[in-house]
Amino acid sequence: MSRTLLRLSVAAILFSFSCLLQAAEPSYTIAVIPKGTTHEFWKSINAGAKKAEQELKAKGTKIDIIWKGPLREDDRDQQIQLVENFMTRRVSSMVLAPLDDKALIRPVENAMNAGVPVVIMDSGLKTEKYVSFVATDNYKGGQLAGEEMGRQLGGKGNVILLRYAVGSASTEAREAGFVDALKKSPNIKLISSDQHAGATRELAYQVSQNLLNRFKHEVNGIFCPCEPPTIAMTKALRELGLAGGKVKMIGFDSGSQSVTDLKNGDVQALVVQNPLLMGYLGVMTAVKNLRGEKVEHRIDTGVALITRENMDQPEMKELLTPPIDKYLK
Amino acid sequence: MASPLQPGKARRLLNIVGPFLGLLLVIGLFSLSPTVRAFFLTGANFKIILTQTVIVAIGTLGMTIIIVSGGIDLSVGSIVALTSVVCALALDKERPPWIAALLTIGTGVLVGIINGSVIGFLRMMPFIVTLGMMGIGRGTAKWLSGSQTVNPPDNPLNRIMLPRNPNFLWPVPNGVWIALGLAVVMAIVMRRTVFGRYIFAIGANEDAARLSGIRIPLQKTAIYALAGVFFGIAGLMQFSRLTQGDPTVANGLELDIIAAVVIGGASLSGGSGSILGSMIGALIMAVLRNGSNQMGWPTYVQEIIIGVVIIIAVGLDKLRKGRAG
Repeated sequence: MSRTLLRLSVAAILFSFSCLLQAAEPSYTIAVIPKGTTHEFWKSINAGAKKAEQELKAKGTKIDIIWKGPLREDDRDQQIQLVENFMTRRVSSMVLAPLDDKALIRPVENAMNAGVPVVIMDSGLKTEKYVSFVATDNYKGGQLAGEEMGRQLGGKGNVILLRYAVGSASTEAREAGFVDALKKSPNIKLISSDQHAGATRELAYQVSQNLLNRFKHEVNGIFCPCEPPTIAMTKALRELGLAGGKVKMIGFDSGSQSVTDLKNGDVQALVVQNPLLMGYLGVMTAVKNLRGEKVEHRIDTGVALITRENMDQPEMKELLTPPIDKYLK
Repeated sequence: MASPLQPGKARRLLNIVGPFLGLLLVIGLFSLSPTVRAFFLTGANFKIILTQTVIVAIGTLGMTIIIVSGGIDLSVGSIVALTSVVCALALDKERPPWIAALLTIGTGVLVGIINGSVIGFLRMMPFIVTLGMMGIGRGTAKWLSGSQTVNPPDNPLNRIMLPRNPNFLWPVPNGVWIALGLAVVMAIVMRRTVFGRYIFAIGANEDAARLSGIRIPLQKTAIYALAGVFFGIAGLMQFSRLTQGDPTVANGLELDIIAAVVIGGASLSGGSGSILGSMIGALIMAVLRNGSNQMGWPTYVQEIIIGVVIIIAVGLDKLRKGRAG
């Protein structure tokens, strides 16, 4: 008799627990907001987010990922509106790659205050009021590029740094890392480091052509801190007959064009991040936080230097051409 | 308007020489520094400048007839993005290059016909209609491309804008010759054909033009459709330059084009302007960007200078015309 009672009460407790669990595990809607949608880098982030969605769904979590970004990589205002709109729509959580390290502070803080937790990915935000920062150590990435430049040039030569855009924290950290690493080789001179490529490929291409016309006789090495200027500068070098190693070209990120350029020897090295892991960890961190688990304030997703020599190693191959199609149909 | 002391011919000469002087002034400015001069005043650099001018120059051909007719078109940047995406998609679907080119230009014409007929037949403000079209065009470009860049396989259209022999001025890419050829044709159309004179007549005084029997709505549709041809060709050139269709490209291009037309001496209230002036205006803009990059001026300085030049150019133009009249 007392045994049945015990059994019943245990059953009742288990039942109420499972009810509680179900109450604690409602359906999550997570908005993932990239900086832009036209670059392959963001496709990989999208694939990573989808991977997280599929894994969570397989474990029985009800989750919905909304992928929406401004179409131009420097449209801060549009991104602010996106954040505000998702806040009003009351999504469960947001994963955001801020276009600007200051302009997005207020919208993010507003969302946090309104009870919509925000995970920052890819690019920093100059506030502490967010759940977690999931990103590449961009400064380290720039340092890797700078050290490789020193190695490629044998510690001597003239170098151009074509910057990306004003206010983009991730690329500015890479540029700083690159410049600092170059200081270790006193015989390497930065002959141009004050030009910005701008957000579209056409602008990056124009600036590259113009800069090369000025410096083509003295430049030995060039570094570009992200995909559009890397592709544009390599195209301009190729047209001048300076590609293929005459000028050492080091780029950042792995679009399909950059990978082809690396294979052909027009690009000597690419610093590559792990955007798939970034998208994946971004969503996972947001869900962990929603479940009330503790999350790290800073999560490093790793960075690697890929040259023609090591590009065929399996782990490098996966970084160069992330298995996007597996997750995006 | 001409004073009896200054015959019309002299004034026209001054109008043509004016923008040229501006161009020389800008080139002179960048030639002051001896270190930069060695790279700036070279055939190779002028090849770069000419190549970078092509898209804006072809755009100004369309914009000039629109502005002379008293209109404005804010949708150019979007149309260039849209047509470059159409071109890339057609090539990606393995259509022959000439079909891709025709589709590209056809898209430009179609958008022009829509703009022109709404402006002409429904008598709506060009500013509003083309502002709307700016969003429609950009949105359609993103829709068609799935918000991604479209990268077709290698094809002959890629080579229209390909610079060869980069250390010398010759040969310039075919795109430069196309732009020049189109400019000559348009200069003749504007000066020597009935359609060209209608454009000036409508821009100078629309009521008078209507009363003298010009069918305004039809002519306006034709003007915007013809401009669409040029915007489509500009899109083709944009595709050829990047060898990809990019739905986010050419954002704000319309402002560069309008600035070039205005620097070239056209009046935004219509009735005056010339193809030659607009082409030189486009060159001035390209020289400014090119020179600023090579001087090592920070990006913000370039933006300020281009703004100042626009205001000075139009101010000088007003002064010149004021003295002549």
